[in-house]
Amino acid sequence: MAAPSYGLIATFDTAPGLYRAAQQVRDAGYRNWDCITPLPVHGLDKAMGLKRSIVPRISLAGGITGFVTGMTMVWWTDAFDYPLLVGGKPMFSPMFAFPVSYELTILFTAFATIIGMFVVNGLPMHYHPVLKHDHIRRGMDDTFFIVIEARDPRFNLANTSALLAQAGGKDIKELET
Amino acid sequence: MSTTAATASAAALPVESSTATLAGKALTIGLVGLALTAIGLFVSGAQIVATSYLVGITYWVAIAIGLLLLVLIHHITDASWSVVIRRQWEHALSAFTWLAVLFLPLLILAWMKPGLIWPWMDLGHEIHGGGTVGADVLYQKKSGFLSLKMFTGATLIFFGTWIWLSARLRQASFAQDADGDAKWTHKNRVTSALGIPLTALTLSFAAIYWVKSLEYHWFSTMYGVWFFTNCMRGGLSVGIIMMMWLLNRGDYKGGVYNANHLHCISTLAFAFTVFWAYITFSQYFLIWNANVPEETFWYNLREVNADGTPNQWKYVGIIAILFGHFFVPFLLMLSYRFKTTPHIIRRIALWILAVILVDLCYNILPALKDAHGDPQPFFSITLVWVLTSVIGIGGVCAWSYLKSFPTTKLIPIRDPRVVESLTHHE
Repeated sequence: MAAPSYGLIATFDTAPGLYRAAQQVRDAGYRNWDCITPLPVHGLDKAMGLKRSIVPRISLAGGITGFVTGMTMVWWTDAFDYPLLVGGKPMFSPMFAFPVSYELTILFTAFATIIGMFVVNGLPMHYHPVLKHDHIRRGMDDTFFIVIEARDPRFNLANTSALLAQAGGKDIKELET
Repeated sequence: MSTTAATASAAALPVESSTATLAGKALTIGLVGLALTAIGLFVSGAQIVATSYLVGITYWVAIAIGLLLLVLIHHITDASWSVVIRRQWEHALSAFTWLAVLFLPLLILAWMKPGLIWPWMDLGHEIHGGGTVGADVLYQKKSGFLSLKMFTGATLIFFGTWIWLSARLRQASFAQDADGDAKWTHKNRVTSALGIPLTALTLSFAAIYWVKSLEYHWFSTMYGVWFFTNCMRGGLSVGIIMMMWLLNRGDYKGGVYNANHLHCISTLAFAFTVFWAYITFSQYFLIWNANVPEETFWYNLREVNADGTPNQWKYVGIIAILFGHFFVPFLLMLSYRFKTTPHIIRRIALWILAVILVDLCYNILPALKDAHGDPQPFFSITLVWVLTSVIGIGGVCAWSYLKSFPTTKLIPIRDPRVVESLTHHE
């Protein structure tokens, strides 16, 4: 082959067929691979051996940042940079800093969640090698695919192809990068 | 789908292991608790024991209202995930009748010795700082609402409403097991449309009459909502514990239950933890910020004695209410694993139930004053009678639930959404 290959794509007609094939690919120890389905297949994440997303942790970090920012900002402006006595209240109290901190917690959590989701998913992505596959549009309609990437350490053109065929994959093709 | 439904209905047949002995034990524990509370009358006197008993009855009524609201919300939103657990909530609603009976001693006491628990019932009651209730302008302006007759009538209406709604919901749901007619689902939806506003009003007024009026000078527009959030958190926690109990007993074998049901109920418990904090903080914050004596005295009582020294309630507020009631369950329930691991979420639910009790103590017990007008401390003999009341009334509620439990199938097997619920997935 002249051009480096992105990997192999195999076609499946039914969700159960894809599900069982995913379990076989998972058990074979592959890591860099994915399923393309026109609809959410319940339990497919387990069949693929996927762990839960790390986005919640990014959200938590965002939330903590927001809370600390709010408290610090109110303390900085009211009690440190320009001390101002309002309504006989203390210069700083977590009480009146709380509404602002709480709002910033929510705002920063939302930012962290959205940005984290985009980064973890590798979005925005304007091109992907599977788009060169002839029938990829059917992946939005009635057909299921499994793509195994060539960069996976276990990838081997002959063996991987055999695994996909044995798992029930049809129309197994090599993808250009 | 059909195989799941078939195995599930096999599991939903009347359970083999009898709950009758368990119900008997619960009733024994309940009666012992009530007897010990009665003995308390001779140890600590009627005022302390009756106020402690008020904590106990309010606690279980709150939990029962929470479960009632869960059933009502289930029907009004046409929910599917909760079908497999709804039957247990319905069984627990049978306790309302017994809670009404157990509230009677307080009503009788209110008529026999007005002013003993709720000071405003006795116009001659000496208020702290001089004068009597009858001469107090803040009482006079509220006297249309705060009268013994109104209190009695309202309490009867509260229990009447809850018992009536519970009976309708239970009857329709149980009838559907026999004929599978969708009309029962529609009937319950109508009951819920009517029941949600009725329950919202009755629980708010119950909180105001039973708890808030202990210190009738005080104003807080958040009070009904505060009570509502505790009701929901109590109902959800008991719901989680009932689910885990059935899971451990093996009733859920054969595909009735999956981790997504637990995730749903735990997430709701998490949501109401945040809502409780929002309401409780808002009440405190608005009063703190406005700094009006008519409102701040209520929190001052719970922080300092008349001589300015901090009292026990201050630490109850910080440790149990702020950290125990909010931060601990909030931070734990952020975790997906904790929310879906049965033995962990069960402990969190038990913890929430414990802190709800402390929250009610925080709201009710400082109404008991010593000779200087300072609130009785948290750690005192009063706490013993609170615990005997909670165990006593709780035992009767558990007995009522367990007695209702074997009378129907484990899940509403002919509910139109039962298959959707069995295959529930996030």
